[in-house]
Amino acid sequence: MKRHIKQSTMRRLISLAMLLALIALFGVLGGMSFLSTGNFSEIFRNASVVAIVGVGVTYVIITSGIDLSTGSMMALVAMTMANIYAYTLLPIWSMILIGIAVGLVAGLVNGIIVAKLNVPEFIGTLATLGIFRALTYLIAITDANGVIQSQPLTVPEYTVLGGSIGAVFYVTVAMAIFVIAGEVVLKYTRFGTNLYAVGANKKSATLSGIDVPRTRMIAYVIVGFCVAVGSVFTTARLQSTTALLGSGFEFNPIAAAVIGGVSLAGGSGDIIGTLIGSVFMATLENGLLKLHMNTAFQYIIKGIVIVAVVIFDSLYRKRMDRIAKEHGAQAEEGVGA
Amino acid sequence: MSKELLLEANHIYKSFSGIPVLHDVHFDVRRGEVHALMGENGAGKSTLIKIITGIYTKDAGQISWEGKPVEINSYQDCLNLGISCIYQELSVIPPLTVAQNVYLRKEPLRAGLIDYNKMNSMTQQLIDLYDFPLKPTTLVEDLGMGQRQLVEILKGLSNDSKLLIMDEPTSSLSGKEAESLFGIICKLRDQGVSIIYISHRLEEVYRLSDRLTILRDGKNAAVLEKDEIIPKMVIETMIGKEMEEVDDSSKELRSDEGPVCLEVKSLTDSANRFRNISFQVRHGEILGIGGLIGAGRTEIVRAIYGVDKAASGEVLLDDERLDPNPALSISKGIGFVPEDRRKQGFIPLLSTVKNVALTNYDIIKRTGMAIDENDELELSKKAIEAIDIRPADPQKEVGTMSGGNQQKVVLGKWLVRGLKLLIVDEPTAGIDVGAKAEIYSILDQLASDGVAVIVVSSDLQELLRVSHRIIVMRKGGIVREFKDETVTQAKILAAMQGVEEGEKR
Amino acid sequence: MKKIDWEKMSKPIILVGAIIILSVLRPQSFLTANNFANVLWSVSVIGIMTCGTVFVFLAGGIDLSIGTLAGLSAITVVEIIDKMGATNASVIIGIIAALCVGAFAGMVHGLIITRFNIPAFLVTFAAQSVYLGLSMVITNNRIVSAREPALFTSIGSMKILGFPLPIYLMIIIALISWFSLSRTTFGRDIYAVGGNPEASEISGVHVSKDIVLCYVFSGLTAAIGGIVLASMTQQGMASTGSGYETQVITAAVIGGVSLLGGVGTVPGCIYGVVIMGLINNGLNLMSVPSTQSGLVQGVVIIIAVAFDALQHQDQSRKKVKRISEQIKGTASS
Repeated sequence: MKRHIKQSTMRRLISLAMLLALIALFGVLGGMSFLSTGNFSEIFRNASVVAIVGVGVTYVIITSGIDLSTGSMMALVAMTMANIYAYTLLPIWSMILIGIAVGLVAGLVNGIIVAKLNVPEFIGTLATLGIFRALTYLIAITDANGVIQSQPLTVPEYTVLGGSIGAVFYVTVAMAIFVIAGEVVLKYTRFGTNLYAVGANKKSATLSGIDVPRTRMIAYVIVGFCVAVGSVFTTARLQSTTALLGSGFEFNPIAAAVIGGVSLAGGSGDIIGTLIGSVFMATLENGLLKLHMNTAFQYIIKGIVIVAVVIFDSLYRKRMDRIAKEHGAQAEEGVGA
Repeated sequence: MSKELLLEANHIYKSFSGIPVLHDVHFDVRRGEVHALMGENGAGKSTLIKIITGIYTKDAGQISWEGKPVEINSYQDCLNLGISCIYQELSVIPPLTVAQNVYLRKEPLRAGLIDYNKMNSMTQQLIDLYDFPLKPTTLVEDLGMGQRQLVEILKGLSNDSKLLIMDEPTSSLSGKEAESLFGIICKLRDQGVSIIYISHRLEEVYRLSDRLTILRDGKNAAVLEKDEIIPKMVIETMIGKEMEEVDDSSKELRSDEGPVCLEVKSLTDSANRFRNISFQVRHGEILGIGGLIGAGRTEIVRAIYGVDKAASGEVLLDDERLDPNPALSISKGIGFVPEDRRKQGFIPLLSTVKNVALTNYDIIKRTGMAIDENDELELSKKAIEAIDIRPADPQKEVGTMSGGNQQKVVLGKWLVRGLKLLIVDEPTAGIDVGAKAEIYSILDQLASDGVAVIVVSSDLQELLRVSHRIIVMRKGGIVREFKDETVTQAKILAAMQGVEEGEKR
Repeated sequence: MKKIDWEKMSKPIILVGAIIILSVLRPQSFLTANNFANVLWSVSVIGIMTCGTVFVFLAGGIDLSIGTLAGLSAITVVEIIDKMGATNASVIIGIIAALCVGAFAGMVHGLIITRFNIPAFLVTFAAQSVYLGLSMVITNNRIVSAREPALFTSIGSMKILGFPLPIYLMIIIALISWFSLSRTTFGRDIYAVGGNPEASEISGVHVSKDIVLCYVFSGLTAAIGGIVLASMTQQGMASTGSGYETQVITAAVIGGVSLLGGVGTVPGCIYGVVIMGLINNGLNLMSVPSTQSGLVQGVVIIIAVAFDALQHQDQSRKKVKRISEQIKGTASS
C-alpha cells in the first residue's frame, strides 16, 4: 500500500504555498520596501488582531457556525472602555476587565440566539452586527452639539500595549499566546474534541453524549473574549476609538480561517491554519498599500480571494473524497485478502 | 461455549395504543454466543431490541442480566450494564482519529490535557486484543464504511461491553468488508463477548449464529440451536406457511401479451450498485421487483427515471431511446413514486393542489403565462377523486396529513396525466391497511388501462398481491424471474436469499 | 382553527396598532397625508429590492450583496451620465448598463452557489465587499453628483397624481413579482425548491436553473433600487445603498417570509415594507437617530426568525410523533 499524505497536511502545505507565493509576488513587485524587517514586523502586527479574534472565530466555524458580528462587537467593547475612561476614575486594569466582560456578554448573546433560539448563525450574527453597532452609537461620546466624537484613550499605561520590544509588537506576543493556547485547547482538551464532533455531525455528537448547544454557546463566548482582547490592542495602538471602529473587520478573521483551511462545513481546520491565513490577509493588505493600491482594491481582492479559496476547497475536497474512497476500498480489499 | 445466560427476557408484552406488538416473548442470550434474531418486517424485532436498550418501556415481563433481575429505563442504563448497540447510522465522527472516537468523552487526561500517548496505547491494546485491522491514529474519514463500523464496535468494547447488538450490520458493506466483519464477530465470540445479530440475510445467519430466535407477528415462532438451523425451515417459520403449500400467500402468475413499453438493456451503475441489468415491461403489465435492501432495486429504478445517471446501458421507452432526467421522463409519460416519501416525495409546506400541479404544469390551462387556477384546482380535485383522499380538502398542507394520504397525493399527481409507465418504490411503506388496499386497486386499474407498472417492494405479500410477473435481485444482479407459474412467498424469499429450493444444510 | 384566525388577524392589528401609537405620539405631524406619502416614498427602494430578493428567500437562499450592488449600480448610472455629458441618451444607456450590472452579478452569485455548492451567505457576503471596492475604485471615493438631466432626476422626484414615481415603480415590481410567484410555473417551482429541493428535482423541476434565476432577479431589483436611490439623492457614492440588505431582510421577515425557505408572499413583503416605513418614520418623529435603526432591525429579525425556527421544531416534533404512530400502525398490520 502506497503511503499517502494526510488530507489536512496537504491543505496546510497549500495555504503555506499560497502565503509564500504572495510574499514572492510582492517581493518582486515591491522590492525592499516590502521585504524589510520593519515591514514584516508591521505585517505581523496587523495580522495579530485578526489572528487573536481568529482563534474564537475558528472555534465557531469548526462547529459549522459563523460570526459576522465581530467588527461591531469590537467597537462596542472599545466604546464601553472609552466611556469608563472619560467619565470614571476607575484604574486602567478595571477598565480593561469591564471591556472584556462586555465582550463575553456580547458573545453569550450570540450564543443564546444561535444555540438556544436556533436562529441560523449567519442571520443571528448579522442581526447582532447591527445591534452592537447601534449600541455603540448609543453610548458614543458626543460634543455639546450632539456630534459624535472620536474618543481619545491616551493614558500611557494603556497605550504602552500598542508598543513593541525591538521589532516585535506586544500585540504579536499576545497573538502568539492566543494561538498556542487556542491550539492546545483545540487539540488537547475534551472541549476541543467536542468542537470537532459538533461540527462534523450534530446528531452523532448528541448520540455520543455531547451537550451540543452548550458547546456551541461556549464557542461564541470565546469569540467575545478574543474580540475584547483584540479591541484593547487595537485602541491602544490607535490611542482612540470611534463609533465606526472595526466596520468591515468581521470579514478578516473569516477570510483568514477559510484561507487557512478551516472548512465552512465544520469539523475541520485548526488555529495554525487561521494564523497562516491572518498573515496572508495582512500581507495582502500591506503589499497592496506598498503598490499604492488603496483600500478599495483590498475590498475587491479580499472578496475575490475568499470566494476563490472556498471554490477551490469545494473542488479539492470532492477530489480528495473520491481518492479517499478508492483508497479505502483498496485498504478493505487488503484486509479481506 | 458455556450455557450460562447473560441476558434473559421473559414474558415480554408491549402494545402501542392498544395494538399488541410483542406478546409473551421470550428471548435469552448466553455468554459468548452469537444469537441471531430474525423475522419479517413488523414481526417485533426492533421493538424487542428497543425494550432491551431502554428506549421503550415494556408493558409487562422481566429482564435479567447475569442472573439478576434488572430494570432498564434509559439507554444509559443499558450502557452501564455493559450492553452496546451498534447503530445502523454510525455515530463515529469522521475528522477525529480512531482513538479519539473510541474514547470520546472519556479521554484519559493528564494535568487537564488529553494524554494522547495513553489514549493511543489503550486503543492499541483494545485493537490487539480483538485483532482489528485498524490503527489508533488513523482519521476515521480515511476509512471505508466497514472499518468505520469496526471503530463503532471498538467504542462499544471500550465500555467493557459484554453484549453487542448489531442491527443489519452488513447493509452498507461490500462483500469484502462483510467478510472481514464476520471474522471479527467470530473473534469477539471467542473472547467471550455475546452478540445479538439482527439480519434479513439468511446466509449470514447460518454462517455466524450459534442460536436463532425467530419472531412472527410479535410472538416467538422458534428458537433454534445451530444444528437445527435449516434454510427452508427458517423461511417457512418466518412466513408461517409450508413452501409448497398453495393458499393466500401464493399466486398464479401470468404473462401479458401487450406491446413492450419499457426495455432496459444492460444498465450498469457507476458505483457498482447494479450491473448489466436487462428486462422488459409490457403495456398493461405489473412487474414486481423483489430483493433484500441493498440488492440494487431502488438504484435501478432511479436510474431508469433519471434521478441518477447510469454508467452504461440503454433505456428504451416504446422503442425510443432515452437519456433520462426527471423532467424528460415526465414529458415522455413516466411517473415515479420514490422510496423515501418524506424526503423525496412531496413538498410538505405546500397544499395538495400545488403538490399535484407540480408535475402537471404542462397540462394545466394557461392564459399567456398565467396559470389558470381553476383548472389547477380542478386537476387536484380529479386527483383527490381518483385516489380518495379524506378529508378531500385540496388546500390542506400535505406535510400535515397522515402517511397514507401523503402517499396518495404523491401517487395521485401521476393519475391525472396520460402515463405510459409508472414506477413505484415501496408504495405502501408505513401506511395503514385500508390505504394499502386502495393503492393496490389503483395499480390494478392502471394496468388494465394499459399502463406499464413497476413495483419495487420489500413486502412479499405486496409483491404477490400486485405483480403479474416478478424479478428478484440479489447483490446488484437479477437472479430469478417468476412468470407463468405458481409462486409463493417462500420461493421469492429463497431467491432473495440465494437459497435453492429444497436445499438442506 | 382559532389560532389560524389569530395569525391572519395579527398583521392588520400590528399595522393599525403602529399607526395609532405613532398618531398618539406625534399627533400633529404623523397623521398628515404628506407624511404618509413620505413614509411610502422613503421605503419605496426597500420595497423594490424586497420584492426581488424575496425570490431568493423563497428558494431557501439569502442575498447579502444587494446593498453594495445597489450602490455599484447607482454609480454605474451616474458615472455614465456624468461622462456622457448628462444627455437624455446617457440616461438610457446608464440605466441599461446598471441593470446589466445587477443581473450579471446575480447570475454570478447563482452560478457559484449552485455549481460549487457553497453557502449563499458566504458568496454574497464576499460579493458585498467586492462591489463596495469596485464602487470606491470607480468613483475614487468621491461623490458623483447627477443633478442633470431632468429625465434622470425625475425618476426619483416626479409626482403622478400626487404620489412620487418610485412608489409606482415599487407597485409595478411588486405586481410583477406577485404575478410570477403566484401565477406562473416558475413561481410555483420556487416554492417547491425552497420547501424540498430533492423532491422538486424528482418532480422534474430544474432546481439549479431556477435558483440562478432567483439571484438574477434579486440583482436586477437591487440595480433598480440603486438607480432610484441615485435619482432621489441626485448623486452616487460608494456608500449608496449600504445597509439595505439588513433592511430588506427585516422587511421580509416582518412580512412573514421564512428565511428557511418555501414560505412567504409578495403582499406579505409589501406589508413588511410598510411597517418598516412606519417604524423608521416613528423613530424619526421621536428623534431617535438613524444610527439606532440597526438595533430595531436586529431585534425584529432575531424575534421573527427564532419564532419561525420554533415553529419548524414544533413541526418536526409533530412529525416524529406521526411517524412513530405510523410505525405502530405498521407493526399492527
